[in-house]
Amino acid sequence: MAGKPARPVNAIDQTRRMLSLVTYLRERPGARIEDVARAFGITEDELVSDLDVLPMCGTSFRGGDLLDIDTDGERIWWHNPSALEAEAAEPLRIAADEATALLVAARAVATLPGLREGDRQALLRATAKVETAAGEAAGASARLSVTFESEGGVFADVDRAISERRRLWIRYYSPARDELTEREIDPIRLVSVGHTYVEAWCRRSEARRTFRLDRVAEIRILDEPSAPPEVELRDLSEALVQPAAEDPEVVVEVGPGGRWVAEYYPHDSADELPDGGLRITLRTPDPASLRRLALRLGRDGRIVAPLDLAASARQAAREALLAYDGGAGAAHDGGSDATAYGAVSDAGRAGPSATGAEAAAGAVYGTAPSVPRGAQGVDDRQEQGL
Amino acid sequence: MAIAKAERLMNLALCLLHTRRPLSKRELRESIEAYTEAFGPGRGGAGSDDSFNRMFERDKDDLRELGLVIETVENLDGEVGYLARRDSNRLPPITLDAEEAAALGLAAKVWQQARLAGAASGALQKLRAAGLPEDVDPYEAHGALEPRIPVHEAAFEPLMLACRDRRPVVFDYRKATAAHPEPRHVEPWALECWRGHWYLAGFDRDRGAERVFRLSRITGKVRSRGARFTAPVPDVVTVRETVAGWAGEGADRSARIRLRTGSGYPLRAKAVSVRELGNGWDELEIPYGHGLDAWLVEFGPDVVVLEPEELRADVVDRLRAVAKG
Repeated sequence: MAGKPARPVNAIDQTRRMLSLVTYLRERPGARIEDVARAFGITEDELVSDLDVLPMCGTSFRGGDLLDIDTDGERIWWHNPSALEAEAAEPLRIAADEATALLVAARAVATLPGLREGDRQALLRATAKVETAAGEAAGASARLSVTFESEGGVFADVDRAISERRRLWIRYYSPARDELTEREIDPIRLVSVGHTYVEAWCRRSEARRTFRLDRVAEIRILDEPSAPPEVELRDLSEALVQPAAEDPEVVVEVGPGGRWVAEYYPHDSADELPDGGLRITLRTPDPASLRRLALRLGRDGRIVAPLDLAASARQAAREALLAYDGGAGAAHDGGSDATAYGAVSDAGRAGPSATGAEAAAGAVYGTAPSVPRGAQGVDDRQEQGL
Repeated sequence: MAIAKAERLMNLALCLLHTRRPLSKRELRESIEAYTEAFGPGRGGAGSDDSFNRMFERDKDDLRELGLVIETVENLDGEVGYLARRDSNRLPPITLDAEEAAALGLAAKVWQQARLAGAASGALQKLRAAGLPEDVDPYEAHGALEPRIPVHEAAFEPLMLACRDRRPVVFDYRKATAAHPEPRHVEPWALECWRGHWYLAGFDRDRGAERVFRLSRITGKVRSRGARFTAPVPDVVTVRETVAGWAGEGADRSARIRLRTGSGYPLRAKAVSVRELGNGWDELEIPYGHGLDAWLVEFGPDVVVLEPEELRADVVDRLRAVAKG
């Protein structure tokens, strides 16, 4: 499984693991390195480094025995299990941080709309048992909570298609062009990072694409088998969107009321301006798609470069105003082609409301990109919006 | 080469777990190689006792963090001793079936934050040691589901600890529309992640009221201040509802707009009703809450607001600002 978080060597984590390892190995003479590493969710190298430390450890109060644990590279042998009384090797109670980490994550996954009901029930049962076993230590877990957003029906269909290895047909909304497109995709996996995405092989573009579930307008499971080419699974958690170095540069200047742009759009730089605003430089393969941002900003900001993008935003606003200035709300039927407006990624919410809010939320109106910054292959960008 | 910290902690843990009587600091110092090597005879010199004491205190704190309950006992001679009693350190019996084990296996991989990822793995390893079945995760079997909790905000870890320990904090916070950050004194209650962003709910001491903060707007360091706060923490903290309210969810009014046929799918998805006008336009009734004006302007000439007048005026105002350039 891709996306295992990097584990820096941490003495506390390693000690915690070795204490469990001692308990585990005591019951399993000749355990295989491969199996133990998998059970403990660590690499074989990490396990081997633990096995290097363990023979230096013991209940060595005044010359007690050290643990005589060694390995032939395949199996692990403990030659003197009596060095540690059974009672001293019993499984240890769960610490507050451990209970918090496991329980908060389990509760979050259980809230994922579309999760198989059997799995949700298993999560809830396991959560209840761990709460009981952790006792008081479980209390601190109430201080953290996480909600994943997902479209339950779409999620369930994608999940089914993956397990049955079948192709999907979707109608998908692209905010960059404000249009719906139909395509057939071979789903690879579901990734939830705040929002939920399906990574798939897109048969129309013959490339890997990432689709956000709440932008799937319609979905059907096809009879055809899914046959995505073997692709290396990247760690999407760090970054779903990354502009490429050769992409054109866009410069946006915002006032204090438009500072949220820097929170929602991955950018190269954001320099403070004297009025409390920011000058933000970002790159996008399709600058026209940012017209939507320029319109949203209103008096809180403007596109500085490229000039034609700034001009197209002004032009769109003037055209829109015709419908109002031209008389009592009559729909203006003027000849512009809707698809010419490359709307993009929906902005975050602007400032706080009149109620004195201290923070503005991720967009409800307009779906904020709400993706972590950092790297992602060029091929995913189109479907995501910037 | 100095003995690795993990080896030192492991030896201290095993000594404390194994002993049936409290061990004094002196006994531990003399029997654990890492201590004798660093602080033993010949290694001494001024300050050596102080350095040992500091290291010993830190080591005990580290072991407590991973869950070891270490008792401090005074013997008849007034000497302080330490031990980790079996009764207080034993995991109570817990039996999980293969499905439950798989569910926890999935949950243990969710954190993207080093400290919590380590803690979640640690919990799972303790359960494995206690006999948790090792069946494969049903999703992992085909690698299909990867929930991830992103934590990009530096303020997260200090705030998590402050919430846990009920320590008041002070940090510089820049409000959404403010040019400059201001110091805030807060009794932290809870952290919540919604749509990939972390929020803190707590009691703002200067304002004397509950406030919600977005972690990405905290600038600089979070400092923990003084003694634990004793004011009660509400059982239910409604971060999400508060944030959703600001974001315009829970709209109780509605608006009528015209939308060019074929455009604005997200508006259609939210619409209460859609009526085709037949002239290239549709008429929609949509929920109207905070922020709708900014969203509608994004669609440029493809949207015309019909009513209410207030929304219409806001949209025209925004369009004029953009049209002026």
